[in-house]
Amino acid sequence: MSLKLSQLDQDRLAGKLGKAMQFAMQTVVTAAHIDQVDTLIDISFAHIDACFYNGRAHLDFVNYLLDNDARLAVPAWTNNGMIALNDLSIRDPQASREMAEARQLMQAYVKLGCNPVWTCAPYQLPERPQFGDHIVGSESNAVSFYNSVVGARTNKYGDYLDVCAALTGRVPFSKLHRDEARAAQLVFDVGRLPPQILQNDLFYHLLGHIIGRRSGHRVPAIVGLATSCSEDDLKAISAAGSSSGSVPLFHAVGLTPEAENLEAASQGGSLEQVIELQVADLRQARFELGMNSDRPLAGIALGTPHFSVTEFERLVTLLAGRSIHPELICYLTTSRHILQQVRQRGWIESLSRSGVKIITDTCTYFSPAVNGLQGKIMTNSAKWAYYAPGMLPVEAVIGSLAECVESAVNGEVVLDQWGVV
Amino acid sequence: MGSGVSDTAFEIAASVLVPGRAGGAALVLDDSLSFWGGFDCARGEIIDIHHPQHGQRVGGSILLIPASRGSAGTPGGIAETLRNGSGPHALVLAERDVNIGIGALVANRLYGMEVPVVAIRLDEMMRIRSGDRIEIDPRGTISVRR
Repeated sequence: MSLKLSQLDQDRLAGKLGKAMQFAMQTVVTAAHIDQVDTLIDISFAHIDACFYNGRAHLDFVNYLLDNDARLAVPAWTNNGMIALNDLSIRDPQASREMAEARQLMQAYVKLGCNPVWTCAPYQLPERPQFGDHIVGSESNAVSFYNSVVGARTNKYGDYLDVCAALTGRVPFSKLHRDEARAAQLVFDVGRLPPQILQNDLFYHLLGHIIGRRSGHRVPAIVGLATSCSEDDLKAISAAGSSSGSVPLFHAVGLTPEAENLEAASQGGSLEQVIELQVADLRQARFELGMNSDRPLAGIALGTPHFSVTEFERLVTLLAGRSIHPELICYLTTSRHILQQVRQRGWIESLSRSGVKIITDTCTYFSPAVNGLQGKIMTNSAKWAYYAPGMLPVEAVIGSLAECVESAVNGEVVLDQWGVV
Repeated sequence: MGSGVSDTAFEIAASVLVPGRAGGAALVLDDSLSFWGGFDCARGEIIDIHHPQHGQRVGGSILLIPASRGSAGTPGGIAETLRNGSGPHALVLAERDVNIGIGALVANRLYGMEVPVVAIRLDEMMRIRSGDRIEIDPRGTISVRR
């Protein structure tokens, strides 16, 4: 299969724009060869993950680009890094060679010209991509949110190809960039569940977890969601579905832009299966994400993916000025942009007084552990509960935001009536 | 065919994802793997506790693996294990896996290596056993001896 290349593609490939752009173009061309497509398309935006440290090779890669005249073709925003750049005590760059390199890596991507937003929830920031835009996403929850909720189009791009796509502005015209790959193939029906369950934020994390487990490589549609389902709830589905499984696109019928109704979501095609969710499925999902053992509660982890303004608002309301129990730590991760917005409302002062420790630029679910994150940790995030026990010396308990707050204040796990379902 | 009754030799024509020449002993993984989170790049060791070959080191092998799984971090995991010498000499896949291909491509470019990545069908992969002697040429011909 011969790949159709523009004049600019060919010039890059021939090295006329320098060695970095040649390397970037070769990488995109290799990806097209592996995907077996004959066409490249333009992208308008990239959210890159290669700024997240994964060994010395990451640093060698970006340094090669910087040393050889690399230039971004499209706006590129950064995912979380390993280091909280404005609070080095979180993961100390002086603690090891790896942490020092992790910081250098983040600085190198700033030098390359990336917009240093350092967030896994870039869709919460202004100027997000629009419906139908072809973009590059790499962080799994953002890929799912952009595809599903925004209606932009991206495959789940891995490290290096994300950067090479941002340098060339080109990607193979494959998979989720094409209409036919976006049709729903199976249905999850939540319409028979007790309506009050759909008002609870935990429900959307559990739903995402179930969808990830059961969808395989198929595109799922969800029917029966209430119109009260918020962007925070859709974020929860995006994150949980791409942790327990690989769901780069889902349709929430009546809510998301390619799913005005089920027929639109399936593009008129046939649906393989309809799964009607029961309360027992939710109970099972909650069980899979961590049993509440007899050990004492050691801490609370919020903000995976990064907390939004509306989540801050709910937290402030639920906490109502009360203090976190003195024997617990309570971490909350968010982006610098959201932090700035929330600070203007006076909420940061109040949360700090209560004992909530706010972290930007990074997250708490991966190694090395942020200070004090060991033992039994409660979280409002299915993604955190799914990953952290494999990477940190922790066990997880998942709860709604309200349950997390009551547990934080009381110093022990408090589950509300719905929680024991 | 070889001289002894137990000797076997055959060839498989693979699709070349990333070209190169390599030889070594086959290591056949029974399941796919995430090279971020499921793999220790420093030691070249499978650390995913759910993987059937948990604890296995892959260094110096011709690694046969159905595909990678999950994370955007797989290309970095491949490049890093190749960089520090704990990685395989070649990868033989049962899917045209972009993440593994790009990881090897980047390592080859940055470090002057020649680690090939090729793809064959799963039923072809099942003809190869761990310990078989493998040679891969730049056109994707896999020569197997046992």
